[in-house]
Amino acid sequence: GGGRRMKRTAPRSILRKIIKKHKPQLRLAANVDLLVLFYFTFEHECPGVVHLNFLLFLNRLAEEARTNAFENKSKIIKPEHVILAAKVI
Amino acid sequence: PRSLLRPKPVPKRSGALRRKKCEPAVASSLIKKIFSHYVKMPVARDSFQAIEKCSEKYFRQLSNDLEAYSSHAGRKTVEMVDLEVLMRRQGLVTDRMPLHVLIERNLPLEYRKLLIPVAVSGNKVIPCK
Repeated sequence: GGGRRMKRTAPRSILRKIIKKHKPQLRLAANVDLLVLFYFTFEHECPGVVHLNFLLFLNRLAEEARTNAFENKSKIIKPEHVILAAKVI
Repeated sequence: PRSLLRPKPVPKRSGALRRKKCEPAVASSLIKKIFSHYVKMPVARDSFQAIEKCSEKYFRQLSNDLEAYSSHAGRKTVEMVDLEVLMRRQGLVTDRMPLHVLIERNLPLEYRKLLIPVAVSGNKVIPCK
């Protein structure tokens, strides 16, 4: 993290491949591919817009994990904090 | 100058075992970067494995949902409407925030042109904000 700028997009082909792995018989229309990419668009470059899906998911996971760490008086995020957070989401 | 010709010692990679699986996934470095950006506190190294596992579950769920929506409509191909329904269920798309507005605001022009060849809104007036 830190000051470095985040990349705006995720590789399209990877997203396609992930869905293909889970659902080999499922086909994605071309525009849908772009929409899945759109799921990935980073908020940072245009502040004020909606967080999108996967990022929103990671954001919620991060916040829940941090809450769990605070409750355990831990200064560092441990795996159990993440796992507990995932159960809530 | 002779020393420059000597081949550099190649560092042993311990990651070779992991690469064998070769499963398509979002780059762990990317997940790491995003997560630590949001969490704003130190993260134990082994926590990232848990995070990656969660991300995988997330994509499995996404795939399941997309399949359910498209097969419900009697299709084998995921169309734009399926994602629209999904995003509506998640509260990202609402009556006041239609999908094409989200796209217009978030995607670079060249992608926007592919997704919205003509204005979808018709003569509806969308209240801004």
